[in-house]
Amino acid sequence: MSGATASSPRLNPALSRSIAIVAVLVVAVIVAAMWSISVGAVPIRTEVIINTLFNLDGEQQTYIVMRSRVPRTLIALLAGGALALSGAIIQGVIRNPLASPNIIGINSGAALFALGMVLFFPKVPETWMPLAACIGGIAAASIVMFVSHVRSLTVIHLALVGVAVGFVFESGVDYLLVVNTDRETSAAMIWLTGSLWGRTWAHVGMSWLPLLALSAVALVLSYRLDLVSLGEGVATGLGLNVPRQRLLLLFVATLLASVAVAVVGVMGFIGLMAPHIARRMVGGAHRLMLPTSALVGMLLVVLADAMGRAINPPLEISAGILAALIGAPFFIYIMVTTASERDE
Amino acid sequence: MPVALRYGLLVAAVLVAALMSLTIGQRTDVGLHNVLQLLFVDDGSLARSAVVDLRLPRTLVAALVGVNLGLAGLALQAVTRNSLASESVLGINQGAALGVAIAAVMPSLMIVSFDVMAIIGAMLAGLVTFSIAGGLSGRLDSMRLILAGVTVGAFSFAFVRFAFTLEDNISRLVLSWTAADISSSTYGQALPLIWWALGGVAVSAFMAHSFNLLALGDGASQGLGVDPRRLRLMGAGLAAILTGASVAAAGPVMFVGLVMPHLCRLWFGNNHRLLVPAVALGGAGLVLLADVISKLVRFPYETPLGIICALIGAPYFLYATLRARNMS
Repeated sequence: MSGATASSPRLNPALSRSIAIVAVLVVAVIVAAMWSISVGAVPIRTEVIINTLFNLDGEQQTYIVMRSRVPRTLIALLAGGALALSGAIIQGVIRNPLASPNIIGINSGAALFALGMVLFFPKVPETWMPLAACIGGIAAASIVMFVSHVRSLTVIHLALVGVAVGFVFESGVDYLLVVNTDRETSAAMIWLTGSLWGRTWAHVGMSWLPLLALSAVALVLSYRLDLVSLGEGVATGLGLNVPRQRLLLLFVATLLASVAVAVVGVMGFIGLMAPHIARRMVGGAHRLMLPTSALVGMLLVVLADAMGRAINPPLEISAGILAALIGAPFFIYIMVTTASERDE
Repeated sequence: MPVALRYGLLVAAVLVAALMSLTIGQRTDVGLHNVLQLLFVDDGSLARSAVVDLRLPRTLVAALVGVNLGLAGLALQAVTRNSLASESVLGINQGAALGVAIAAVMPSLMIVSFDVMAIIGAMLAGLVTFSIAGGLSGRLDSMRLILAGVTVGAFSFAFVRFAFTLEDNISRLVLSWTAADISSSTYGQALPLIWWALGGVAVSAFMAHSFNLLALGDGASQGLGVDPRRLRLMGAGLAAILTGASVAAAGPVMFVGLVMPHLCRLWFGNNHRLLVPAVALGGAGLVLLADVISKLVRFPYETPLGIICALIGAPYFLYATLRARNMS
């Protein structure tokens, strides 16, 4: 809607409104990030943070800010944006607002592989867990896409197969957890609830490049996503090879979500909620909706993580759970009120 | 095969499974040769106590949970006209678990018993799922129903895990409860289930004819004197009550309500009058069998019942999905 008017010589009101919204979001993300750096077991004043970040004269808190809070906040930004983008792409491809990275099995696959690595290869250092999780997410999503491609299923069936494959992987996770009660599974358990606890520059180092590159690819593909979400018939009529584009888009979404899940753990609701909020703000044209959605995702994860530290320091509440707690009522409200609007 | 013979085979299967569930355990001196004697003759021995006090309540819980969950799944599949619907797919099971979790962590909130808390949780979760799927406006969308149910279930379970992280000293207990470990069941858990199960069979049998009419479509059933919206509400309510009672007694056992109605439909056809007793028997048999497997998989250790049911049910769900090609 609003994005399609860019060719007209003057900015129309809808577009300038969207630009204003994006600007406000950017400011909100920066403010939230500053807050996230300042809260925790040791509160730090804003002026000290700025001194530290830009190496100005005056009081600094290099150790806490640079070693713990900044990498953690960066991870929250990267993962939040990636999960939201992935969710937006998947909702566009499946053409259903209830779709999310979760429903093509990414989270469950990542969880199973991460847990399996901890249990079966105890000698492998824990820093390898993101890699295992990433492989698991891609494996689960590949099974889903392979099955639906071989049987040339409709998108509806693709989603159902995704749900089913997710259940299969999840039952495997439950089995491993219960059978190995005596073994060291706590690291994997914390990871399963989607926490940003103890994230370091190493996590930033391994995830920033793939996530930024994939986000760029996603933005480039946004026009094709617009076409695919028009429906199979229309998109084919407009000259698109729909099955191939669908596969390509899902592949990008899978990689985005898998890398994000690998560094922050299972945070399933960001990819579901952020695209909804973004769609409400700027409409459904993906050229605008995708970046907005990424910003909303960043905001959600950074806020959830900061709140988790602010509520009861020095204890922390997992960001994934807080995001779900805050988001659930809102999500239910949106879904119930829009239940009868969509025809499909 | 005549219907009576099929029922006969089902009854035989349930009895065999029950006998196996009673026979298998860590005490090797209880076997097929003496289990019946131990059950009915009180000789004061430890073996008798093992059978009557430890294994019998557990076997009863397994069988009755199977009846309840099977019937709940049948009712849900009937009112949604969707063979993939069931209490675990629609999030009702997880909602019941959330009710129990809240009651366990915050006793001050628990004004009623665990059963009722579980039923309230199940009903709320079901209500949310149905509302998202458009059930309130009377037009249920199958795809939205499943996705909404999966989402509601995931939300609920995230909160269950979170609720229990608030309470450190019960975390071991929690892991075994969320995996539906029934190895320490008592008569206190088994006896109320009998009433829930009997009530469930009676109400389902009473509603069977309406379910048959609803299968013809909303319009046709209305013409034949069934109010589809009311029936939907009653069927979903029945499912929530049966699920809540089971979850309060045994923990969230997944997929029984999906697998059994599905299998029985293949074997008995689509007449709900035949399906109600078949699903009740089959559900009992399936969970008893899962109980037997749970004792054998890592003998002499046990694997919680919920894990076995999930390991059987999740692949079955995948199979059912690939089969259900003509979903609306």
